[in-house]
Amino acid sequence: MKPADPPATVRAPGAGSAGPEGRRDRKDPNLAERLREAEAALVRRPRLSIRLRMVASLVLCFLASGAFSLGAFILLRKAEVKLHLLQTLERLDDRLLRVRALEDEKILSRADVDRALDGVRQADALLRSGSHALQEADRAIVPALLLQLGTCDRLLSVVRGAAEVGGRPGALSARDGAELRRAEAEGNRLLEVIIRRERSSLDGILRFAETGPLVLLGLQLVLFVGIILAFAKALVNPIRRFEGYTARIAAGDFSFITPTRRYRDEFSDLAVGVNQMLGELQAQQHRLVKGAKLAVVGTLTSGIAHELNNPLNNVAITTEALMEDLPTLSDKEKWRLLQDIYFETERASEIVKSLLDFTRQEKGEMVAVDLADVLGSTLRLAQNEMNLNNVSFTCQMPPDLPRVRGAANQLRQVFLNLLLNAIQAMPGGGRVWVSAGPQDEGKVCVEIRDEGTGIPAEVLPRIFDPFFTTKEPGQGTGLGLSVSLSIIRTFGGDMQVVSSLGRGTTVHTCLPRADEG
Amino acid sequence: MSEDRDVMVLDDEPIVGDRLRPALEKEGFTVEVFTDSAMAISRLKEKSFGVLVTDMKMRGPSGMDVLRFVREKAPKTQVIVITGYATIETSHEASAWGAYQFVAKPFKLKELVKLVDKAAKAATA
Ligand SMILES: Nc1ncnc2c1ncn2[C@@H]1O[C@H](COP(=O)(O)OP(=O)(O)O)[C@@H](O)[C@H]1O
Ligand SMILES: [Mg+2]
Repeated sequence: MKPADPPATVRAPGAGSAGPEGRRDRKDPNLAERLREAEAALVRRPRLSIRLRMVASLVLCFLASGAFSLGAFILLRKAEVKLHLLQTLERLDDRLLRVRALEDEKILSRADVDRALDGVRQADALLRSGSHALQEADRAIVPALLLQLGTCDRLLSVVRGAAEVGGRPGALSARDGAELRRAEAEGNRLLEVIIRRERSSLDGILRFAETGPLVLLGLQLVLFVGIILAFAKALVNPIRRFEGYTARIAAGDFSFITPTRRYRDEFSDLAVGVNQMLGELQAQQHRLVKGAKLAVVGTLTSGIAHELNNPLNNVAITTEALMEDLPTLSDKEKWRLLQDIYFETERASEIVKSLLDFTRQEKGEMVAVDLADVLGSTLRLAQNEMNLNNVSFTCQMPPDLPRVRGAANQLRQVFLNLLLNAIQAMPGGGRVWVSAGPQDEGKVCVEIRDEGTGIPAEVLPRIFDPFFTTKEPGQGTGLGLSVSLSIIRTFGGDMQVVSSLGRGTTVHTCLPRADEG
Repeated sequence: MSEDRDVMVLDDEPIVGDRLRPALEKEGFTVEVFTDSAMAISRLKEKSFGVLVTDMKMRGPSGMDVLRFVREKAPKTQVIVITGYATIETSHEASAWGAYQFVAKPFKLKELVKLVDKAAKAATA
């Protein structure tokens, strides 16, 4: 004997991506209304477009580097003025020292006096116009220096005036000579103070100019990292989110996108577009489910006709018998015939009612559904199809089966599909086992098992595909499982098929429990 | 000549047998009614009937199975097949297996009795 193939299993495609809560909580069946609501929610937020943010960041960068350039320019300007001033002051310092030394030796030449006078005037002019470039402390001593320089100027001019006539600089009176010396000495002292301080200040500026670019580099790095992070947030996060959306849409969850951020941007426009697409998909899905339902009714036609013809025939022949034999029948017999007619009429109308119940459009509202009820009425609907095909069933359910979230009629459609598949898998007749029970994670699972042909492993992965069928046209549309899965997914559940070739197939359908009370 | 007035009615709807029995008996037939095809087959093994009226779709052996059985065991028995839902295939299959007549539900009692009468005559002929 050939060892049995191990049973193969297929989980419904895209399993694990259950629809978001939003969909399940929504009760409004009106698609257009929901679409409008979703769009309004997306558009209601204040707009902060990515383009605006991009422009703002660039402007910020431009302003930051502009400010730095301006600062550098001002600093360099200051250094330049300072340098010029420093040179002038140093030159004057030199010349004054020289005048003082030569005065002592009494060999002061006219040129020396000229140069000193020149230096004094230049420094005077510069200090009057450019003292702003000096340090605060230096500016405080500038008036004192100017006073000394004024004295030097006046007295040196006298010295030089004498030289104009005689060729050699003349001597001053003793009092003026002493004053000049004092002024020169004081000038030298003040100049040196200023020179020393300004030099170190210039050194400071130069050091700053050296380290400045490094600081700028650091600042720019921080700025860029900030901007990049902000844009990553603005661009990559929504793209990730949309990846998630496409994954769940591919898995058959067509619920609308809802706002996740406080602002809206270009991605929100995209979301509005995607929602329109989703609305269209939902409508399409609706039509598909409806079409598949009618197709199932089509499959049931022969069973239904048979089922209806039996009571009709019973009514017809009983009426005929009654009319024929009315005079000869006893009252008791008449009563029995009338009773037959009554109950057979009842039976016929039950059949019509169950069929109408099934095809009736119900609002897709989700309520707490009693699975025992749903399975019972579905089994009644399929009963004749089973009779016709010599299929019997066993139904096993705990009496306290928890209710599930869903819509009774759509669940009936699912279980009818599964029962018909099971019946069709057993052309020579057989048995179907139907059982239901609570499972962990707040789920209730229904198991429908047949002992039919089973599903070949290479076919198994495709059975949930829309329009995939191995049956003759007229027997199967290939919509049964795909539509069933989409219905079950809408209710937040999932399906799984286990099959072993030649031995049978088991379909597990799990639904979330309705949380009551 | 008495044998061909024996009729078996087989239908899992009890009312069919209940109504056919008096109607046929009025015409002088001896009628045996069955609602279970397996039991009917075992009865057919013991006794041959002039006419067999059988439903097509039933639990257990179908009308077609019964027809095939009768064709082998009692070729003289005429078989009238009634069905709730007639398809071209089933009617073809029934005539291929030599059914006397194929009748769709709902039928008229009178017509079926007339048909049984004709079939009984054909069985004797
Ligand atoms: N219980 C089952 N036993 C064997 N094969 C099955 C069963 N259920 C589904 N299948 C396979 O999966 C295919 C797709 O099923 P379905 O979507 O219901 O479409 P259809 O029944 O119209 O063909 C079937 O054609 C059949 O090959
Ligand atoms: Mg199917």
